[in-house]
Amino acid sequence: MTKVDINGEKADVEMTIDEYEKVRKLLAREPNITELGMFDVMWSEHCSYKSSRPKLRIFEDAEANYDYVLAGPGQDAGVIDIGDGYALAFRIESHNHPSAIEPYHGAATGIGGIIRDILCMGVRPIALLDPLRFGTLKNNPHSQWLFKYVVKGIGDYGNCTGIPTIGGEVEFDESFESNCLVNVACIGLGTIEDFKHAPSRAYNPGDYVILMGGSTGRDGIHGVTFASRTLTEMSEEDRPAVQIGDPFTKKLIIEATLEAIKTGFVRGLKDLGGGGLTCATSELTGDGDTGGNIDLRKVFTREPGMNSYEIMLSESQERMAFIVKPEGLETVLDVFRKYEMSFAVIGRTDDSKVLKVFDGNNIVVNIPAKALSESPTFKREEKRPSYLDQLLSQKTPEPTIGLDEIIYRLIASENICSKEWIYRQYDHEVGVRSVVKCGEGDSGVLRIIGTNKFIAASTGVNSKHCFLDPFNGVKGGLVEECGNIIANGTKPMAMVNCCNFGNPEIPESFWYFSKSVDGMNEFCRTMRIPIVGGNVSFYNEDEVKKTAIKATPMIMVVGLIEGQDNIITLPFKEPGNYIFLIGETKAELGGSEYHSVIYGLEGGIPPKVEEVKIKEIWDFLFELYSNGMIKANHDVNKGGFIITIAEMCFKNKLGAELDLKNCFDDHLRDDEFLFSESYGRFIIETKPNDYDKVLKLAEKHNVNIKKIGVLNSTPKIIIKGLRTKDIYLDIQKLRENFESTIPNLMEI
Amino acid sequence: MNIKIAVIQFPGANCDLDAIHVLNNVINVKTDLVWHNHFKEEKYDGVILPGGFAFGDYLRAGIIAAHSPAIEEARIMLKDGRPVVGICNGFQVLTEAQFLPGALLQNDSLKFACKWVNLKVENNNTACTNKMNLGDVLAIPIAHGEGRYYTDKLKELEENNQIVFKYSTEEGELTEEANPNGSLENIAGVCNLEQNCVGLMPHPERASEEIISPKGTIHGQIFFKSMIEFIKRRLA
Repeated sequence: MTKVDINGEKADVEMTIDEYEKVRKLLAREPNITELGMFDVMWSEHCSYKSSRPKLRIFEDAEANYDYVLAGPGQDAGVIDIGDGYALAFRIESHNHPSAIEPYHGAATGIGGIIRDILCMGVRPIALLDPLRFGTLKNNPHSQWLFKYVVKGIGDYGNCTGIPTIGGEVEFDESFESNCLVNVACIGLGTIEDFKHAPSRAYNPGDYVILMGGSTGRDGIHGVTFASRTLTEMSEEDRPAVQIGDPFTKKLIIEATLEAIKTGFVRGLKDLGGGGLTCATSELTGDGDTGGNIDLRKVFTREPGMNSYEIMLSESQERMAFIVKPEGLETVLDVFRKYEMSFAVIGRTDDSKVLKVFDGNNIVVNIPAKALSESPTFKREEKRPSYLDQLLSQKTPEPTIGLDEIIYRLIASENICSKEWIYRQYDHEVGVRSVVKCGEGDSGVLRIIGTNKFIAASTGVNSKHCFLDPFNGVKGGLVEECGNIIANGTKPMAMVNCCNFGNPEIPESFWYFSKSVDGMNEFCRTMRIPIVGGNVSFYNEDEVKKTAIKATPMIMVVGLIEGQDNIITLPFKEPGNYIFLIGETKAELGGSEYHSVIYGLEGGIPPKVEEVKIKEIWDFLFELYSNGMIKANHDVNKGGFIITIAEMCFKNKLGAELDLKNCFDDHLRDDEFLFSESYGRFIIETKPNDYDKVLKLAEKHNVNIKKIGVLNSTPKIIIKGLRTKDIYLDIQKLRENFESTIPNLMEI
Repeated sequence: MNIKIAVIQFPGANCDLDAIHVLNNVINVKTDLVWHNHFKEEKYDGVILPGGFAFGDYLRAGIIAAHSPAIEEARIMLKDGRPVVGICNGFQVLTEAQFLPGALLQNDSLKFACKWVNLKVENNNTACTNKMNLGDVLAIPIAHGEGRYYTDKLKELEENNQIVFKYSTEEGELTEEANPNGSLENIAGVCNLEQNCVGLMPHPERASEEIISPKGTIHGQIFFKSMIEFIKRRLA
């Protein structure tokens, strides 16, 4: 924090002396206090990506290299063409800092913000997904409090706006205890025409600038600069920097905005999020290569006496800025009147390339429109943490309890157990599109009404793996999220990411970011998955304990499929059918649930990803799908493949008898085979008479596959063929363990 | 017969488009989405108040919407016997407007609940159940935070046959486990004395197409088809 004094007006700014000098150079004079505040916000890490931008340049240009990508990184959301004239928009971003100190409103306004980003692309928001991180729940009232109110905040906001929350992911780990992560993702659907009518820029001089929605108050001033530093005990005092959401107004904004776009008179559109009016007006005019005049007296404020600094920097929620053709002004305003929305015509665009802000007759801001987006960048140092060698050398102890007992404990662990307690609180069906609902499949699947198309979405990443090896960890996240939608039969189309890391000024923290970006880049280029958007949240670091969160480069993948019959679901279907394990299992227990739940270990060798192998498996699965050979499919995730099989048995009350003799590598111990979290594996169910064909196709695709068992209707999973004694698991007990963990911790 | 139905769009309604989709594209009856201030009863044979959070459910669920001009129009329909139907938030509005008896309180779990439940048909004479059999069990999902039905006139309701649906098991047993929100006597839906006004917390519009139904059932369709049948009989 730097204290500045300009002509007797004092303010605290985050910017460095060098940055201040750059402002003076851009303006060729001293900035006034309002201008300085605007630069301070726009050049914050949160708005400018000044630490991450140089690194993110290694991603390929999605718009240039994929013909179906309509909008790529740098826009409010990524947009792809899904055929039949429809466009799909999606984005994920973080709302970590506000949620860590005010979980309910922090999470709720996170949802509000991501909805606006999608709305900005001119399409209707149709789904939400929320990957979360908290400290462990057991014996931890603080984590329970954060968890309870984050879920409630997401639910209350999403439910009220009528956008179903169709998926998410959560991990509990000590490193998130004082820095919980609340990442929010939204998917929007519209016609390609709708999308084209709503660019986020004001490219035509003479258009009207309209502010619509909530009133401007003193809340959230400097929200983004608050998000651009680490949380301390002092952060409790920053609680006023957290905004209060109003999902009812948001619902009206959605309807009014979509109806306004349909008039054909809207020429540009931008939401007011981080950086408020400053960000919206400067980006609209800067990106549109125009200029504009804004009068702050026209802005409707929540309280009297707000000065120009406060109005320009307020981050009050539920506001949108519209650029409207002069001839359509009244038509658009009539739409806003119908919805009884507050609005004000606050200015007009011009061709001056300068953003001028007036307070009545006094000019209070006079800066080149593009200047605010020309933030300096930093080349951050990166250094591999010295503690990693010791962690990676940790060995898996010999189990001292039975393998059956280990499985019962694993399935009850916070990170593996059922998340029903969460998704029951989310309306996941509103919109009548949800075909594969929460808990029924690896990903959420939605129909596109009026077509024969379906989309699937999945989000997550394994933070424990990324902590040990961010390069392979993020690739593993991509394999897992793509695997989730592939398990439902859909083809991955594009990904967006949300990078959650510690303080970028600390070389070890920046190393995690850098390696994650490298991994993402390599995987996505190899597998031909366009990266259409991203968000970076740094400073997730506890200043008191001097610890960063485990690196969490969150991934969301969106996929597409045609034909209802081609959708595959998770539950086993029929006794007598065969169970196959696809993909190779290696002794990769580093960062596994087995290590942490049974031995309290964080280290070991984490799973590696070989793109060639993954590609072969995916191609193989799609060939099985096209031959109708897969009856159920579930990708193998935390805890290993026995957990996967148990989850598949639950719904239709089936059992399984497994014979693992000759199914695994001689070098592997029983526990290594059973609990490894090697990536890219699937458990599938097939008909017995397809056995030969399945093996033949596996050979064709060079895929490692083993028939490991047969389904039956007894409530047991029997595991034979291990080196140690056979295992008999009671499905009812597995299910109780799976389902009771979170309710037992939260319903006291 | 040119039957026409209106779905009222209160500010904050969010199941309006879902109801419109099902009525127009699945049930194939002409249905308009009408902004609450623009609604005129004379054009319509029936009206549906959809789910959502009308006026944000501020103050109390449904109470502000109960004072909308649309309710005065609906009252005319109520009195001349046309069907007036409230789903979820619409049910809350109808109780607040006193078209229907009782009130909807916060779920006993104190949490929002989104899940598929089973409903047992307790009265098959109403505007929305005339094509059902007594004791039929319907699979229909709920999604609400304030759905715990309460009335201090239970006896009266029972005597007048105003209880339309009760939460039950798949086999039709009225158990405590089958009750998702703590509703009095497992009550999920009620009607007025004349049986042309029906309100229920579950969402039949989410249970009218096989593709989005976990077990492939389409029991919600019978609800809307009964409504059309009721209109036809009335007009005949």
